[in-house]
Amino acid sequence: MWNKDKSLYLSRILTYVCAGLAALFTLFVPGIAQWYNDISDPIGILAHKDVTLPMIIVVYFCAVMAFWVLWSLHKLLSNISNDKVFIPENTACLRAISWACMIVGAALLVLAIWRAIFVFFAFIFVFLGLVMRVMKNVFENAVEIKSENDFTI
Amino acid sequence: MPIIVNLDVMMAKRKISSTELAEKIGITSANLSILKTGKAKAVRFSTLERICEELDCQPGDVLEFRKE
Repeated sequence: MWNKDKSLYLSRILTYVCAGLAALFTLFVPGIAQWYNDISDPIGILAHKDVTLPMIIVVYFCAVMAFWVLWSLHKLLSNISNDKVFIPENTACLRAISWACMIVGAALLVLAIWRAIFVFFAFIFVFLGLVMRVMKNVFENAVEIKSENDFTI
Repeated sequence: MPIIVNLDVMMAKRKISSTELAEKIGITSANLSILKTGKAKAVRFSTLERICEELDCQPGDVLEFRKE
C-alpha cells in the first residue's frame, strides 16, 4: 500500500540517484562540450568562436549549483522525515534552491553569447527559481502561522 | 507587547502552585510557563475561562494593557 513514508523514501532515493548521476556527468563534461561545439548551429554574438571552454566552465559551475540544490533537498527531506516540516531551516533550504536556479539561469544566459539556444534554457531555470521563490514565501508564512499556533495557550 | 499577563500575581494571591494550576485548568506546565513569562502570542477563551474559574477572578485581573 502506497503511503506518505514510502513517498518520502522514494524522494530521498531519487535525490541520491540524481546526485550520483550528476557526479558521473561531471566526469564527461569536456567531451560533451567538445561534441556540442562540433554539432551545434553557430547562432549567437560570438557564434564564430569555439564554445568548448566557456561551456566547460559554465557547466562545471552549474554542477556546483546542482550539488548545492541536492544537498538542500537532502536536508529538507531529512527534516520532513523527522516530522519537522514548518521550521525556518526548511525555508532557508527553499531559498537556497530558488537562488541556485536563478544563478544557473544567469550562467546559462552568459553561455547564450556563444550559442543563442541557451537563452531558452536560462528562461526555464529563472522561471523555476521564481516558482521556488513563491513556494518559499508560502512556506515562510506557514512557519509564522505554526509558531503563532504553537504559542496559543 | 503592551498586553501584560499578571498570572503569577493572581497565583500568589490565591496561594496556588504552577503545577497545581496547570493540572486544574488542563494545560501542561510548559504551556503555563509560556503564559506566565509573556511568551504566548494568544490565549484561547476556553483557557481564560478555566483560569478565571480556578483563580476566582476576572480576565482583567490576569491580563493588563500598558501603553509602550
